[in-house]
Amino acid sequence: MSSSNASNERPAWVAHHFDTAGQQVSSAKLGMWLFLATEALMFSGLFLAYFLIRKLHPDMVLVASEELNKAYGGVNTVVLIFSSFTMALGVRAAQVGNQKSLERNLMITIACAFIFMGVKYIEYSAKIHHGLLPWNFFDMEKAAHHSAALASFEYTPMFFGIYFTMTGLHGLHVVIGIGVLTWILIRARRREFTPDNYVAVENVGLYWHIVDLVWIFLFPLLYLVK
Amino acid sequence: MSEYVFLNGKRVENPHESHHHISPVIVYVAVFAALLVLTGLTYAVSFANLGPGSLPVAMLVATMKASLVVAFFMHLAYEDRFYLFMFLTSLVLIALFFGFVLFDVNAAGALNDEQAVGVPRLEEGLKASETAPVAGEVEAPAPDAGH
Amino acid sequence: MSNQTHDSVEPSYLVAKKGLLSWLITVDHKRIGLMYLVATLFFFMVAGLLAILLRTELFTPGQDFMSAQTYNQVFTLHGAIMVFLFIIPSVPAAMGNFLLPLMLGARDVAFPKLNLLSFYIYCIAAVMLVLTLVMGSLDTGWTFYTPYSSTTGTAVIMATLGVFIAGFSSILTGLNFVVTVHKMRAPGVTWNRMPLMIWAIYATALIQVLATPILAITLMLLCIERVLSIGIFDPALGGDPVLFQHFFWFYSHPAVYIMVLPGFGIVSELITVHSRKHIFGYRAIALSSVAIAVISFLVWGHHMFVSGQSELAGVVFSFITFAVAVPTAIKVLSWVATLYGGSIRYTTPMWYAMIFLWTFTVGGLTGLYLSTLSTDVHLHDTYFVVAHFHYVMVGGTVIAFLGGLFHWFPKMFGRMYNERAGAISALLVFIGFNVTFGTQFFLGHQGMPRRYYAYLPEYEYLHQISTVGSWVLAAGLFLVLFTLLAGLKFGKHAPANPWGGVSLEWHTATPPIEHNFHHIPHVESGPYDFPEIDWDSAKH
Repeated sequence: MSSSNASNERPAWVAHHFDTAGQQVSSAKLGMWLFLATEALMFSGLFLAYFLIRKLHPDMVLVASEELNKAYGGVNTVVLIFSSFTMALGVRAAQVGNQKSLERNLMITIACAFIFMGVKYIEYSAKIHHGLLPWNFFDMEKAAHHSAALASFEYTPMFFGIYFTMTGLHGLHVVIGIGVLTWILIRARRREFTPDNYVAVENVGLYWHIVDLVWIFLFPLLYLVK
Repeated sequence: MSEYVFLNGKRVENPHESHHHISPVIVYVAVFAALLVLTGLTYAVSFANLGPGSLPVAMLVATMKASLVVAFFMHLAYEDRFYLFMFLTSLVLIALFFGFVLFDVNAAGALNDEQAVGVPRLEEGLKASETAPVAGEVEAPAPDAGH
Repeated sequence: MSNQTHDSVEPSYLVAKKGLLSWLITVDHKRIGLMYLVATLFFFMVAGLLAILLRTELFTPGQDFMSAQTYNQVFTLHGAIMVFLFIIPSVPAAMGNFLLPLMLGARDVAFPKLNLLSFYIYCIAAVMLVLTLVMGSLDTGWTFYTPYSSTTGTAVIMATLGVFIAGFSSILTGLNFVVTVHKMRAPGVTWNRMPLMIWAIYATALIQVLATPILAITLMLLCIERVLSIGIFDPALGGDPVLFQHFFWFYSHPAVYIMVLPGFGIVSELITVHSRKHIFGYRAIALSSVAIAVISFLVWGHHMFVSGQSELAGVVFSFITFAVAVPTAIKVLSWVATLYGGSIRYTTPMWYAMIFLWTFTVGGLTGLYLSTLSTDVHLHDTYFVVAHFHYVMVGGTVIAFLGGLFHWFPKMFGRMYNERAGAISALLVFIGFNVTFGTQFFLGHQGMPRRYYAYLPEYEYLHQISTVGSWVLAAGLFLVLFTLLAGLKFGKHAPANPWGGVSLEWHTATPPIEHNFHHIPHVESGPYDFPEIDWDSAKH
């Protein structure tokens, strides 16, 4: 029925509407890259909002960003970069058929993601404690008590609004990442991936790298304004 | 006719060959190391007190890190050129969006000042709205002389 | 060519699997296309009835039966439902889904399960927009401009979340189509041998993928403004309301091309098949679709000429908007040139195609008035704008859509509709549409503002004509519906290829079997190479 090669068996994992395995794999990859483009475009809107705030209120942004803990931010940056490294190693392991290495690297990546969320939790708690929140929840008294410099600006809550929005959306993507990584780990444990059939691992890897990429830009913009 | 395999309307020369490039581990290690170094550089740029130059420089460093991740971790360097084209197209689109809007915010601010229209300056929004109605009123209560 | 219409033992896709559940969990692109068709036509009717309510209220200058607040809600919902639940999904998701794999010679789209997911995401979005109605309604206009949208008490969050989710449906459909066109073409279907419908849908899919994420983030920012408040759109909080307009129109302008490009694709098919003539300027039309997609991203500021945008930005946007008229004009002229010397059959699809040529051209030309800075200052936010976009969206997309429905009705359902009823519907739609919206150009030119529910007595005469026109248009549209439904039930069984088309969808069973083709076709000629064309004497 299909035009596939008579001398070659069709692997079981190739869906009925594809002619060859190569067609399925390259379709999956193209689809994933297109999806990544949409993710990049979506985050770019938030980056634009950030740049606008920074442009309109440069002095406020400079002071408000000092409230962010550069050490925590740095730790998170290193954690995410490391997790990207292990993810890339995991994809490579799938390419060569090294099941143990694949599982190990996936688990490390997931652990890094959890560490990232843990640090974020600490950071968010501190902000909430000091009342440093978006406009509708900003507590001027607590903030002024915490830092007089902050209270001297009229639009301080804007910074924290954009901070929580950007890191919040990013954090949501990290959590989703934990979910898909776990799913891939489960499939890897079931020995579903072979050197011919690993595009799902690769695609999840691509997603995870985008999460890392967004943070690479977020970090200096939010934490290191000075 | 059924012996041949077709993809995208054209005959595939060698359908069983998979063209997936496998990077040696050392490449990943090197990229990781470079990323760590660049992260350090990001900090250094921040503490170097470059004033207005610190934003472009920081963005440049971030772009370098991003390029490494995209090229090697995401394999874009080894993929069909079409993926690079897609990627760059998205970047161009984003740049356009940013460019036009930022340019317009700049220019609109300057235009309003030049016309001395009573549109409250964006940073004085709160104060001015107490004393004058919005946009269009020529007699502005002159919120501030210098800008 | 392959695969003639033998009565196969294999049943058509309509009856291949039975039962409601088989439809609800189908991954067959044809069934999914039909489900989209039913859903989008339903919302077309809902939003259309809202429009009739509006027009009836506007029959006299004062209040008739609606309060001002209700009027605001009705026009907002008319716009939001039409844009997000009808026009954006209709041609791509309903027709595109059905036709794309057939025209490419594929067995399905690249990601069939994702396709089904897109449909369900659309349904969720539709439910949310319906919920908006009962949760306090929406009165911001479909454009959601701040500061009103960030402060009004209506159900803005529910509505914007609904639209946000509809956006995901759009993105996933677009993604599916781009990959399908790249990867799933049958042997011999090169880029230059694809039907122009595919080129149109491909260009549309590109826009869907690239522009819709910006809508997502814009609406998300709006929701956050209402719940948390960053302050980015409110001067009192440090922001600027014009920013919202930049964000919003950066998506929404390309979105209008999502709306109209597939219509262009349909018209290319209708004109060639019903005049038995090879398309004039295949490459020009194909590339102009992509050109329109590209340029569409560069013109959003023409919605904001009088919003407080800088003059220089205005000039730039105005100039580029003029540029986008060029590829569009190339298409229109190519279609007219195709008709010239063709063997024209006056079937219902051809009537609709011809109506399109008139109404879309008027719409396009009036766009030029609006893109000229100096005239736009007078025409912005008047009925001139309303007339312009209805001429391109209704006179463009909807007319093309209706023509496409009649054209592919036999293929989809295996039945013929009543030709005379179809022709009468085209006449009613043509008259009703032009009376309704043609008068609105004059209304707008004389200064009648849009979105006003009460107006000065001097506008009454034209408003009344417009309202009567809308009733005629509604009658025509109901006739379309009845004609098609009657065709389903009582229509003659259709031959395999009632129009003699040569693109691949006409070379499989009517209606198609579940997997489209018994044998994947190997294509050696183009989609418009009608057998009676004498190539030796061809002058092109």
